[in-house]
Amino acid sequence: MAIASTVLGRLLKAAITLLAIVVLNFLLIHAAPGDPAAVMAGEAGAADEKFIAQLRERFGLDQPLHVQLWNYVSNILQLDLGYSYRQGAPVLDLILERLPATLLLTLTAFGISLLFGVAMGVAASARVGKLGDSAITGVALLFYATPLYWAALMAVLVFSVWLGWLPGFGYETVGADYTGLARVLDILKHLILPAATLGLFFMAVYTRMTRASMLEVAQMDFVKTARAKGLPDKVIRRRHILRNALLPVVTLAGLQAGQLVGGAVLTETVFAWPGIGRLMFESLEARDYNTLLGVFLISAAMVILFNIVTDLVYRLIDPRIGATR
Amino acid sequence: MKHLLTTSFLVAAATSAAQAQQQGGRLDIVVQPEPPSLMLGLVQNGPTQMVAGHIYEGLLRYDTELQPQPSLAESWEISEDGLTYTFNLQDDVVWHDGRPFSAEDVVFSADTFLRETHARLRVSLAYVESITAPDDNTVVFQLSEPFGPFINSFEAGTMPIVPKHIYEGTDYANNEMNATPIGTGPFKFEEWVKGSHIHLTANEDYYLEGKPYLDEVFFRVIPDAASRAVAFETGEVDVLPGGSIENWDVARLMEEDDVCSTGKGWEFLAPHSFMWMNNREGPTADPRFRQAVMYAMDREFVRDVVWNGFGKVATGPVSSRTNFYTDDVTDYSHDPEKAKALLDEMGYDGTPVRVLPLPYGETWQRWAEAVKQNLQEVGIEVEIDSADVAGWNQKTSEWDYDLAFTYLYQYGDPALGTARNYIESQIEKGSPWNNVEGYRNPELDAKWAEAAVTFDRDERQKLYTEIQQEIVEDAPVAWLLELEFPTLYDCSVQDLVTTAIGVNDGLRDTWIEQ
Amino acid sequence: MSDFWIRFSRNKGALLGIAMLAAVILVALVAPLMFPKGPWQMVQRPFLTPFATEGLPLGTDTLGRNVAAGLAYGARVSLLVGLVSTLVALAIGVPLGAVAGYYGGWVDEAAMRFTEFFQTIPNFALAIVLVAIMEPTLTSITLAIAIVSWPPVARLVRAEVLSLKKREFVDAAQLAGLSNRRILLAQILPNAMSPIIVMASLMVATAILLESSLAFLGLGDPNIMSWGYMIGAARTVIRSAWWLSFFPGLAIVITVLALNLIGEGLNDAMNPHLNRKGRA
Repeated sequence: MAIASTVLGRLLKAAITLLAIVVLNFLLIHAAPGDPAAVMAGEAGAADEKFIAQLRERFGLDQPLHVQLWNYVSNILQLDLGYSYRQGAPVLDLILERLPATLLLTLTAFGISLLFGVAMGVAASARVGKLGDSAITGVALLFYATPLYWAALMAVLVFSVWLGWLPGFGYETVGADYTGLARVLDILKHLILPAATLGLFFMAVYTRMTRASMLEVAQMDFVKTARAKGLPDKVIRRRHILRNALLPVVTLAGLQAGQLVGGAVLTETVFAWPGIGRLMFESLEARDYNTLLGVFLISAAMVILFNIVTDLVYRLIDPRIGATR
Repeated sequence: MKHLLTTSFLVAAATSAAQAQQQGGRLDIVVQPEPPSLMLGLVQNGPTQMVAGHIYEGLLRYDTELQPQPSLAESWEISEDGLTYTFNLQDDVVWHDGRPFSAEDVVFSADTFLRETHARLRVSLAYVESITAPDDNTVVFQLSEPFGPFINSFEAGTMPIVPKHIYEGTDYANNEMNATPIGTGPFKFEEWVKGSHIHLTANEDYYLEGKPYLDEVFFRVIPDAASRAVAFETGEVDVLPGGSIENWDVARLMEEDDVCSTGKGWEFLAPHSFMWMNNREGPTADPRFRQAVMYAMDREFVRDVVWNGFGKVATGPVSSRTNFYTDDVTDYSHDPEKAKALLDEMGYDGTPVRVLPLPYGETWQRWAEAVKQNLQEVGIEVEIDSADVAGWNQKTSEWDYDLAFTYLYQYGDPALGTARNYIESQIEKGSPWNNVEGYRNPELDAKWAEAAVTFDRDERQKLYTEIQQEIVEDAPVAWLLELEFPTLYDCSVQDLVTTAIGVNDGLRDTWIEQ
Repeated sequence: MSDFWIRFSRNKGALLGIAMLAAVILVALVAPLMFPKGPWQMVQRPFLTPFATEGLPLGTDTLGRNVAAGLAYGARVSLLVGLVSTLVALAIGVPLGAVAGYYGGWVDEAAMRFTEFFQTIPNFALAIVLVAIMEPTLTSITLAIAIVSWPPVARLVRAEVLSLKKREFVDAAQLAGLSNRRILLAQILPNAMSPIIVMASLMVATAILLESSLAFLGLGDPNIMSWGYMIGAARTVIRSAWWLSFFPGLAIVITVLALNLIGEGLNDAMNPHLNRKGRA
């Protein structure tokens, strides 16, 4: 019951945050030089006054800014993300078309990084001060310091150009018309490189976090008690230390959801992954206001949702039953 | 380097009759960036044209010598006074939805639809008094004045023929059918997976027997230039249209086996690059400063290093690939001393100038950096401005720049592609496609106007030669290069580029050697 | 304090970090002496490979400019962007977090809503939009990075202040009649400095990465040679001229690594018993 009401409360706050984001972004993007009509005129190969005036009128840009803002916000309140005049389709359709790809990418990257990060952190903490520990923390530091896009370029070069093992870009084999399991496998093959490169940085973060947290918890009184009771080391490690050590890792993971989604912009660009990160960058370039705002709204909503989920996970693994933070 | 080899092979193939062509196969082409729409009557930017130029057709196509060829029109006639253009249409043409095509569609497209939506065509249509369809297979354009370049206005990008039964009486921009374009072309729209690819399939009811040869075409969207090159290397795509990868990669890929290339297919557009120099204010208002810029630039270096040897140094406003070109003009070869002398003469006081690069990738950025170095060498203070595509449009069309890179298409005739950048009536804020530099020369304006409505070729050549000579002396803009964008393709792809707009309408004739 | 230095200097990783960072700073400082012509001058044929031509140890780039000179001048820009954006982020985050933690109540609520708001927008996406709006210049890039990186500072400072507020010395100060402002500035914040310093060292590293990522997407200042700008310019020739993006990439990795090692060293030295909640 308590969980349900907190979730509800958070959702309400989230709605207000989202609305504020919409307004801020709306003002920001309209402050950018140029507008969609100018971009389209620039691409058309020719333009005259009539042409541009037609476009502005069609896009509703001939109205005063506050009217445009009011129209936009009242549409949003009715859950209508508006229409992309540039692409000639409702924004929601454009986003929904691409959202699954981004979700697949970010969630996989998140899963990989959390799994390997925690595993490596645990392994390092078990060998603290020894060679294995230095090796793991060294690798983690290196991953942490490597620019994401650079790792992506290198991965394409090695695994798809030189070795030819994995496809270097795209979401699935175009025109192969696979169905069922074959399609799943095909998508998985395309997913490996982008998810791995996007996950690297976060894996490094979680490795370091888990290691530090494990070491910290290991010194706490209840662990000492458990040791005194003569419980085997493995059991203590898994049941007592890890469970507690995971708490700050989960909190951090929740806070980094925004970064993960942001990192997707770079990954999707290098790997031609048809997700909303790229849609965001392209609509920014084209000043496709409605689409850009829609992507911002949806990705902010994703971040909020993610935070709520990590909160729930936190409660699940928190050994202090019924504890509130 | 199979450049030359391929060209001669194409000639051989053309002469050795047509039965060699093989039916079937799939072609993957890069399209960059993703087009905003495929409705060619509404949007005519590069990527849209490349895809939709195979869905829609114009009345004519043009070969690489800019000579008109049949397309939807089987034959045509121009009256001796240059005022009446009569087109006989192909028989048995049907739209992709099965409805018959007729002369009424042409009249609707040219007289109603495109007058409303197509800014560039409006210029030519201003000379057209009436467009009529005496019968289902004939269309007559009646001109009020003999507009010289009118015969160059009929390819798919300039005058796409759209279906009357779908658009008549509707709000064109919001017509639901825009998402599933219906044309008469050799390929039909099948599917568009946004962010990934556009799928076209062969039009089985196409009016030319046996064509198209290909079963299907995939236009692939790959946002990063380096990734596009990789896609070509790994065989994911068969064709890299001109300009889709950076020049350094073009040079590298051309050395690989089984990679063919051609510089053809850009004759109609003939992209001509130059820097607008703001004629209104600042140092660039002084013609001596502008001439100094011309002498200061080492354009051969840029051609060789930045463009990897592709392209040709531009001598003036008209491309050597366009009709009525002359090279008998002032020669602005690299001469820093002359530049310095001109700057001394005008008393240049070291006021810094801003250079605005074209936001189209690394090549253009390097180019701006090279120009900056060149100008600094003769003592001009330079700062590179930066803007994305929208910002560039804003700055140029609002005249907020000192020097700004650009390139313009020539459309085969000075009256269509060149005049707009130099005549006074084209000085108008809000568009990056007109006389952005603000050059005023009433005497030349009269000559431009006269040349446009002169029908006799020799007469026109004489006028355009005079115009070019005088304008080059004035240097209202800094001409850079006639750009060349080689198209790279797998050598098994045959007859890829056969027209003056290349892969924008050429796939009708393309086949793959198995 | 001397304890701190002893502990810090026992940390091999931290010393290595100091050495690497010192080298980078040295290069940045002497760049104009080593390469008086500046990083933009075209000095030789383009695409000269590294270690092959005398005077051009790292080869030349696409226009024939000295890659070594670019790296040296790039160090100045990357360090500057990292440092300034971190300072700006601290200038926003520290007061906000401190006030929120100290006063609590609606002030805290409002400050945290504000912070959460910025954490909800994917930060890299926001940075892109900000740079695009202001157009890429050194100032706009630095500012955009600062704007997206202050929220964690505010959260950290708030947490520190919350826990310090309950300490005896704060009670004592209150009893002595010191004003809230005095207590916050003179008593609490100095005691919260160590975790802030640790975080700041990591933020400099992250800022350098962010700057290079923006440059990679074409959002770099075209008049300033930075490492990110070099990689962004070279990524299209990565196949034919690996060194053009490799060396600046290496420079970034080394600098970010050094800053991280130093940060960890500081953390360990300041918290010898690992008695605090881990933070990253």
